[in-house]
Amino acid sequence: MSTVLPDFSDALADAVASAADGLVRVEGRDRLPATGIIWDAEGLIVTSHHVLERDENINVGFQDGESVTAELVGRDPSTDLALLRTSKQGIKTPDWADPESLRVGHFALALGRPGANVRATMGIISALGKAWRTPAGGPVDRYLQTDTVMYPGFSGGPLVDAQGRFVGLNTSALLRGVSITVPAPTLERVVRDLKEHGSVRRAYLGVGAQPTRLPDAVAKDLGQETGLLLVSVEPGSAAEKGGLFLGDTLVTLGESPLRHMDDLFNGLGGDRIGNSVTVRTLRGGELVELTISPTAHP
Amino acid sequence: MTTLIPQKNSDLGELADRVRNSLVQVTAGRNGSGSGVMLSADGLIVTNAHVVSGKGRRRSTGDRLQVTLPDGAVVASELLAKDEGSDVAVLKLERPDGKLPALYPIEVGDSRSLRAGQWVMAVGHPGGVAGAAAAGVVIGSGPDLPEAPGAGRDWVAVDLALRPGYSGGPLVDHRGRLIGISTMMAGLEVGMAVPAHVIQEFVAGVLAGQPTQSENDAALV
Repeated sequence: MSTVLPDFSDALADAVASAADGLVRVEGRDRLPATGIIWDAEGLIVTSHHVLERDENINVGFQDGESVTAELVGRDPSTDLALLRTSKQGIKTPDWADPESLRVGHFALALGRPGANVRATMGIISALGKAWRTPAGGPVDRYLQTDTVMYPGFSGGPLVDAQGRFVGLNTSALLRGVSITVPAPTLERVVRDLKEHGSVRRAYLGVGAQPTRLPDAVAKDLGQETGLLLVSVEPGSAAEKGGLFLGDTLVTLGESPLRHMDDLFNGLGGDRIGNSVTVRTLRGGELVELTISPTAHP
Repeated sequence: MTTLIPQKNSDLGELADRVRNSLVQVTAGRNGSGSGVMLSADGLIVTNAHVVSGKGRRRSTGDRLQVTLPDGAVVASELLAKDEGSDVAVLKLERPDGKLPALYPIEVGDSRSLRAGQWVMAVGHPGGVAGAAAAGVVIGSGPDLPEAPGAGRDWVAVDLALRPGYSGGPLVDHRGRLIGISTMMAGLEVGMAVPAHVIQEFVAGVLAGQPTQSENDAALV
């Protein structure tokens, strides 16, 4: 026999050992503790929203055995992420993998620290897809699914590659029955929002809409088959103030066409709040241009 | 593509074959059977206490059970001792004509220094499939595993579905050394094994003639 199996076994255990000081135990619920990832050297910890069943009296346990209290900076239920601040300074931050290095079929390990020690399960990257939206409406930069077993207390812990580099944060709560990893670019975005605002800010128009087919002539002119028919306009909202009416069919927001609901969701990021944007709507067969200033999502 | 995966496949096959040489089937009456592993060349076999007990059937020391060896030979064995608390039982093959077929005892590894993420393989007879194998990694070991049955007991948790029939069979490391015997599932996807050091201590006690708790079922809770 060759040394392939011993080498493989050692490499996996080494990957776990090298990643171990980047993950912490998070005690924020009555039953089993869960896991968190050290985000920066100033003591910020990113974890899963659903494992924090309380806002106070949260404790974080480090690899060196030290346990400290943590303050909840903010939560984003839509991506199942939460940010904690601890007083622990000068901690080593994990090494992150280049997101472009991942391929379907690669070995990966899910790590957790529900107790004192790091625990691991192994699998492969099952699916790598496009950006997607969680059932709660949160945008995620990339669909990333593995066949790793989510052992109790693993939510909030990292998926690591075969070299022990962090790839993202595992959660069992976003989709049922599959192991989903929130990739690093999404973590960066959500952490930044939580740090600055305590929540993930979304812009808000105050409309209800559904996709609808455009008349042939308009479709040909615009180069898009569908627009968004307004089925409600909230009184006092940015939409009403900007002059939108029930029955309008939105076709563009800024420079971007509005074909599907996702186009509207994606166009209403936090950077739109308080900034005027041009909206084109089909009204009585004519294209009308309006200026709207979106508010913050309530 | 490198030759790494073909080489790994070849090694995996060789390792599974070698471990199967130490794998037996323990038949507990008509209520079913489980796996067992050969510990010594003179016919000591360990398995789970729940394998020899069968479904609702009480067994006590001195009872005889059928064991099927890797070559298909069916040999009678005597139940030397069992402990429901740690779920371990020890059998000794009988030799009516004074001889036993060639036996291949398994090498015992160190289950006290397991590392999270290290590679493991389980071999057994799940659902009546003879000599099946499954591979994964050690999730963790010791007494402080979440949702581990029995407070304070030592376990090896693996990311393998150790379905009925694997019970009593060997869990080995990358060199085929015994690190535990497959015992139960915790949830749908996690397997739990009694660590090899727990088995060794129990067997050493039995061979030294120490009484086991099994006689009065004091450990049955």
